[in-house]
Parts: sequence; structure tokens; C-alpha cells
Amino acid sequence: MAVEGELAIETRGLRKTYRSVRGRRVGVEDLDLQVPVGGVHGFLGPNGSGKTTTIRMLLGLVRPDRGSATIFGHDVPRHLPDVVGRVGAIVESPTFFPAFSARANLRLLADGIGAPRERVDAVLDDVGLTGRAKDRYRTYSLGMKQRLAIAATLLKDPDLLIFDEPTNGLDPAGIHEIRRTMRDLGDQGKTVLVSSHILAEVEQVADTVSIVARGRLVASGRVADLISGQGGPAVRVVVAPDDAVIATSLLASRGIVARPEGDALVVEGADPAGVNRMLGEQGVWAREIAPLQVDLESVFLGLTQHETPGGRDHRGGRRRRRRDAEPPVGPAATAAATSSGTGRADGGEEI
Amino acid sequence: MRLLRVELRRLWMRRVTWGGLLLALVVAGLGVAGQIGSAQPPTDRQVAEAEAFYAEELERWEETGEQQVEQCEEAEAEAAADDPGADFGCDDMAPRLEYFLPPTVSFVPDADDREAAAFGLPPDRGESQDPRVAEIEQSVWTGWSGVGAAAGYAPAFLMLAFVVGVSFMTAERSTGALGMWLTFEPRRSRVYGSKALAAALGTVPLVVAGWAAVAGGIYTLHAVFGTVGTVTTEDWVEIGAFSVRLVGAGVLCAAVGTALGVLLRHAVAAVGAVAVVLWAGAAFGYPLGAAQRWTPTTNLTAWLEGGTAYGVALETRDESGMVTTTWTTEVVTGLQGGLYLLAVAAVLTLLAVVVFRRRDVA
Repeated sequence: MAVEGELAIETRGLRKTYRSVRGRRVGVEDLDLQVPVGGVHGFLGPNGSGKTTTIRMLLGLVRPDRGSATIFGHDVPRHLPDVVGRVGAIVESPTFFPAFSARANLRLLADGIGAPRERVDAVLDDVGLTGRAKDRYRTYSLGMKQRLAIAATLLKDPDLLIFDEPTNGLDPAGIHEIRRTMRDLGDQGKTVLVSSHILAEVEQVADTVSIVARGRLVASGRVADLISGQGGPAVRVVVAPDDAVIATSLLASRGIVARPEGDALVVEGADPAGVNRMLGEQGVWAREIAPLQVDLESVFLGLTQHETPGGRDHRGGRRRRRRDAEPPVGPAATAAATSSGTGRADGGEEI
Repeated sequence: MRLLRVELRRLWMRRVTWGGLLLALVVAGLGVAGQIGSAQPPTDRQVAEAEAFYAEELERWEETGEQQVEQCEEAEAEAAADDPGADFGCDDMAPRLEYFLPPTVSFVPDADDREAAAFGLPPDRGESQDPRVAEIEQSVWTGWSGVGAAAGYAPAFLMLAFVVGVSFMTAERSTGALGMWLTFEPRRSRVYGSKALAAALGTVPLVVAGWAAVAGGIYTLHAVFGTVGTVTTEDWVEIGAFSVRLVGAGVLCAAVGTALGVLLRHAVAAVGAVAVVLWAGAAFGYPLGAAQRWTPTTNLTAWLEGGTAYGVALETRDESGMVTTTWTTEVVTGLQGGLYLLAVAAVLTLLAVVVFRRRDVA
């Protein structure tokens, strides 16, 4: 039973560097992550931002250089054995024995953790693989393999499920299936942490998200809060080229800022009907007028593009993004978002 | 126990394990096939050919025999000036039919073979101080025999057990299966222990099958051809003891393979490292002198055969500067061989556990 305010996952100052012949590279830098109990939590970040490394540290596969992490209040990796029974995880592409059936593979895992064999058929049913349970793993499609991996995580009937890029390589139908499975699990009261760089996927399924870039947390909170934290509505207006300056002046006289963007004006803090009325009253007729959508992708790009080496300045980037966006600090956004801010400009990648 | 059972199932779900078993049987089959020629008595045609050659040689002997003996005795007399005990065998120079027949070996070496066996050492090794040398030379593994030929294939089965052990660890690491397994069972010492034990115990059937096939096959060959020879109770006991020791060595080899799989990460590196060590021991063993006592090959042989011997040349220089080389035969006991293998396996396993517990899993 989820208790409000209880955390399924918490990390404090988590840091991991990798050594190679070219020096040391920071994988995760002082990461403070909080995942509430219950629901689906998206763990977003560009490729190489430290998502998988963080998950590996939580699962005891990688040793952090410093910092601490807890799962359901248990220090990990020190006390991971005490809590591992409540955690199911898929890290990248799980491996099964290709020559054996799904059922045989799961039985092997079930025997390893002491789960009853009846549980195997139950989880196969949960992910819709009962009809193919006797088929060899090598005959499975990518989507089926991923579903089998999810079934493996369910063997323990875990309270926390960690999925690392679960829809990589899947076709749209496969993505839909996985998304629905994750949502169902979240609705059952389980905590699902899903790492991804596919924003639409997370936006549709996640209740809360954390966004990381260059190993640092740059934002965290409810999806709706992050989006609303971008400010008020915005409108894209197209007028005749000769009217653009007039329209800008008209709106400015009403205290409304309009900035040119290509052949259009982007009007901040106004609704489409109001803008249309204001312009029409002065004889300036809009050829096109539409509300600008702010979505998770916009938020994500705003927060991460300037964190990416060589990434272009987000102010000249996607049209859908609000231009003056600051890191979202909505009412429900976690303290982590404010404390992390936009992260270091240099990112501290090489040390 | 639960983990061990699961790991044993995982081990035998792998194609490498089944491939190793198949290869062991193939090696055994080749070993048996290679023994067919020497296990069977001469055919009528071979006997006829031998008799023809013998008759020719006998005719030549009757013509020139006395002259050959005289020449021999002259040479022997000259040699006796330096070596009073010189014996050129001049009184036994007449040809015999057996010299012209193809050699036939029995399943166990006969008394002559055991007497004649030499460890590549000069004849004066008889002066060796160690009475255990004689015991080793009288053992069932000395000389040319069917069981000796079978024993020659034993290292191949040990190598297969080693490779299966290496692969069990390196393949699971490289495919990501290890990472997935650790998300189910994060206690790494237990995971390593169960894997190493599974590899050690799980490869026993492979070693047993290979050894049983080659030893049983060669015995069957000799039995069919009627060339088993006189197998004493002591011989059977020694063959049984060899079998038990071989299984023990297989267990240790698989454990070493698992450990090196962890330490060196890649199967090629682990197998290559062992191959280089064994090759170096074989190629440069003799120049090592007394250090041969500590080569893996010597100790493995000692363990399997209940003891082995090696020659050492000692050079001494007298006051006049003359160098005298004295050959001695040293013995490595089976106990030392066993302890050596056990120590190697224990040290590598300990190192591997430490590394396995600390290393990041990709």
C-alpha cells in the first residue's frame, strides 16, 4: 500500500565516473533523485545522460563512487538483498536461452528465486504470452521478447519495476503494448520507473518525471506541473507581411509581447480569440492563428539541449517550445528541480 | 543449494557444454581408432611378409654373422678401455622373427616394457638415489600400452572442462545474462560460488564420459583382439585411482576456468593464457632443471599418475676445469601434484571472488 510522501527510490549525491585510456568520464554527477511510491515515473534524458548508469547503481550492478541510494528505505547496494524481492528490473536487452521456450526460461528464473512454478504461467498470462509459452525464445519477435522480459520481472510480484528503455526497437504495436502494460502496473499501485529518451512515450504513460542531462538532475515533478511551469498560453499568429510591425505595436500597446518567428508572430500570455479580437478591432486581420502547444518534449529540449555538447541554443530551436522557459518549478515540482537548476554549462564531462 | 541446482541447469542448457561433451566423445573415438593398429596382433599377410624379411636377413647373417660379431667385439673392447662395463650386445646379434613383425601392445604394459621404460633419461639413471623412481617406472602408466595411450587423452578432457568453465562465466558476462541474473540474486559471492561449483560438478560427466569412452573403448579393442595381457589386481586398482584423480583434476580445471573467466573477462584470453603456460612448461621444461618440479604439466602428471619423475643434469667443474655432467632423476609425488593443483585453484578462485564482488557489470 502506497503511503503519500513515501519514496520508492531516493538517491543523494550519487556520482559515478568511468575510467578509460582517454581519462575519466563522468557518468552520473551528484544525482538527487526521488521516485514516489505508486504510479509511473519517467526517467528522461538524452543518450549518455546517465540514466542506465543510475539504474545499474540502484541494482547493484555498478558501484557508485560516492553518494547514497535507497530503495523503499533500504540502502543499496549494501542492503539490496533485503529488498531485491520487491524489485523487478529490465536493464537494456535481457538475455534468455534461445533454444528454450519462454516457460522453460522463466521456470529457471523462478527456481532461482524460489518462486512457485504456478507463478510462471500467471506472469505469462499477464503479458499475453500464454499462447506462445511453449515456443522457443529464438522464434519470438522483438516485442514478444520484451514482454517476456517484463514477465520475468513480474515473477517476484514486485512493488517496484524498473524498465530501462523498454521500447527500444519495437514497432508501434509493440510500443503500445508495453506502454499499456506499464500503465496497468502503475494503476495497480506498483511503482514503475521507466527510463527513456522517447518523450511521447513517457508523456502518455508517466505520472511524474525526472529529467537528467550530463548525469545531473535538471527537473523533476508531475508531468502536468512541468508543462504548466513553462508559463501561460502562447499563440502563433500569421498576418500579411506589411502588417507584422503594426500588429506587434498594437499588441505591445496592450502590454502583450509578440516576437517574430519566421513568417509568424509568437504572442505570449494571450488566448487566440483575444489576440484575434485585438488585431481585428484595429483592422489587422490574421491569416492564421493557432494556440502553441507546450508539451513534455518542449520542456525536455529546453532543459537538455544546452546541456548537450554541440547542441544548439534552444532559443533558436523548436517552434513549439516556449522561448523564455526556465527550469520548471511548479507547485508540485520537487526540490530537486530547483536545486539542480539548469546544471553546469560545461557539464563537467571530462575531468 | 537452490542456486547450485539452477546453475547446473543453466550449465547444461548451454550449447558449449553439450558441445564439450560431444567433443570429448569424438576425442575418445579418435583415441580408440588410433589404437586399432597397435592393439591387434599381426595379420597373416604381415606375418608372411615378416617371415620373408626374416628369411632374407637370416641368410645374410649366416654369410656375414661371424664377421659382424668380430667387428662388434673389437668395438666393444675399444670402448672397454674407457668404460669397463661397456656392453654392445655382441652375443645377441642374430636376427629374430619378432624384429620383423609389427609391434603389438597389450592393454597394460608387460614386464619388459616396464623395465625398458625410461623418462628420456640416460641409462645411468639407475644410480638414482630415490627408490621411488623404480616404483614409478614399474607402474601401469609406464611403457607402451593401451591404458597408457588412453591416459594420454586425459588432458584433453581436462582442457574441455576448463573451457566449459571459462565459457560459463565469460559468455554470461558478454551476453548480459549475468547482469540480468544479478538483478534476481544480487549476492555476488553466492552467485560466484554457485557458478563455480556448478561448473566444477557439472563438467564431471564430460570428463567421465570422455575417459570411460576412451579407456573402455581401448580395453574393448584389446579384448576383441585378445591382446589385453595380464592385468593384475594392482593394475585395476591403479586404473581406478587414476579415474578418480582425473575426475578430481577435472573439477579443479573447471573451477580454474571459471576463475580465469572472471579475472581475464574474455574466453580467448583465459584459454590462451593457459595454453601459453602449458606450452612453455612443455617446451622449456627441461632447461628449467630443478624448477621442473613446479611446472603445471609436471604436477598434473604427478597427480594423475600417482607420481612422476624428471631428469636434471648437474654440471660440476673440477680443479683442472673439466666439466662433469651428472644425471639425476627427481620424483614429484602424487600428493604434491594434488596439493599444487588445489593451491592454484584456491588462489585463483579467491582472487576471482574478490574481483567478481567489486567489478561493475555491464
